Amino acid sequence: MKKMIALGFEGSANKIGVGVVTLDGTILSNPRHTYITPPGQGFLPRETAQHHLQHILPLIKSALETAQITPKEIDCLCYTKGPGMGAPLQVAAIVVRVLSQLWKKPIVAVNHCVAHIEMGRIVTGADDPVVLYVSGGNTQVIAYSEGRYRIFGETIDIAVGNCLDRFARVLTLSNDPSPGYNIEQLAKKGEQYIDLPYAVKGMDVSFSGILSYIEATAVEKLKNSECTPADLCYSLQENVFAMLVEITERAMAHCDKKDVLIVGGVGCNERLQEMMRTMCSERGGRLFATDDRYCIDNGAMIAYTGLLAFVHGASTLFEESTFTQRFRTDEVEAIWRLKEESEKLKRLHG
Amino acid sequence: MAAVASDKADGQTQWEFSCDLEVDYESEESASIVYAALAVDKELQPDKVKRQMSVSNGKLSVHFEAVEARFLRASYSAFVDVLTLATKTIEEFGKGMEL
Repeated sequence: MKKMIALGFEGSANKIGVGVVTLDGTILSNPRHTYITPPGQGFLPRETAQHHLQHILPLIKSALETAQITPKEIDCLCYTKGPGMGAPLQVAAIVVRVLSQLWKKPIVAVNHCVAHIEMGRIVTGADDPVVLYVSGGNTQVIAYSEGRYRIFGETIDIAVGNCLDRFARVLTLSNDPSPGYNIEQLAKKGEQYIDLPYAVKGMDVSFSGILSYIEATAVEKLKNSECTPADLCYSLQENVFAMLVEITERAMAHCDKKDVLIVGGVGCNERLQEMMRTMCSERGGRLFATDDRYCIDNGAMIAYTGLLAFVHGASTLFEESTFTQRFRTDEVEAIWRLKEESEKLKRLHG
Repeated sequence: MAAVASDKADGQTQWEFSCDLEVDYESEESASIVYAALAVDKELQPDKVKRQMSVSNGKLSVHFEAVEARFLRASYSAFVDVLTLATKTIEEFGKGMEL
């Protein structure tokens, strides 16, 4: 039988990516381009959309060439429906609608958060983990239960990555390759722990107060030479990562699951992985994490998740191929998981 | 391909600020593909900006109306960006691309 192939488009934040994958999770190509702003500045919707407009078509060419496929071999076109920034999301949606008509291919709309989870599962082989999804726009503790990915805990204000990104702006660290990466490198040189607010509220976390506090403290302490930028990066990381490990551990106890999968851009932080690994091993579980190729937004994760849905009978009507800034993880029926679960039961009970 | 933008002041419009855009694709198919791709996204503030589109003789015609000039400008400029993207996508991946 011919291998099913999907072309996936991701453009919900400052990365634009196009990926080609097969149903077994083989990535045939996965080029992407990142909009990098000058130190001290974040990315805004309009400028980010302009960046995506400039790069999306060459990326499609490159994705097809690297994968050595022609449009004829593609079974479906997948794109990020949301969540994310409106204008950047629209770029991928428009291109998919045009290609769908030119090439006569079905469209599959994909939830960005679910795509991170499925990519993480196929790359690491984690079967049924508690998922910590941490990025510049999202912070959620998720576990699969009865047909959907349920959110067990989340941020009540800004995402952990947003907190780190904005602190990097205070220190005017470079945004290349990402502000979080540069914080992580600087944190390795930290020697002194600066006390910061610790904001876990039940199963949820809060980062905006921590950011305000460290923004004010940083300026003051740096001026008086009471600490170094490295100390602040180290302290911020230790503090917010401890919060994330705490709510993840509580979700594990609640769901009775032993393994953890970390996905999303902040997930490639090795210090976060190390702290989570320690917690998992104390509970007799394992940590599954990936590197920047899969953690950070990319087209392949959208293609793979769309293809999973597509082979289970899901596709999106052309008129309904919209995008939306808000799209919660638990709105999606994970129909492919239902089949996995029933096969697992069959194996268990003969 | 020729684009024409002009202010319309014939009094038929409901709102004070209006603008027309016409793109001649010289192809009914291309014009229809762009029309369909752009018709999916509705105006974000329908109480402030309206957009009407039609296709005839290979031409895509778009009429904008808004209650304030700044809404007209924002809507028009965002639309032109995605219109250009859709058009370029056809140019790159339409005719001549192996199927």
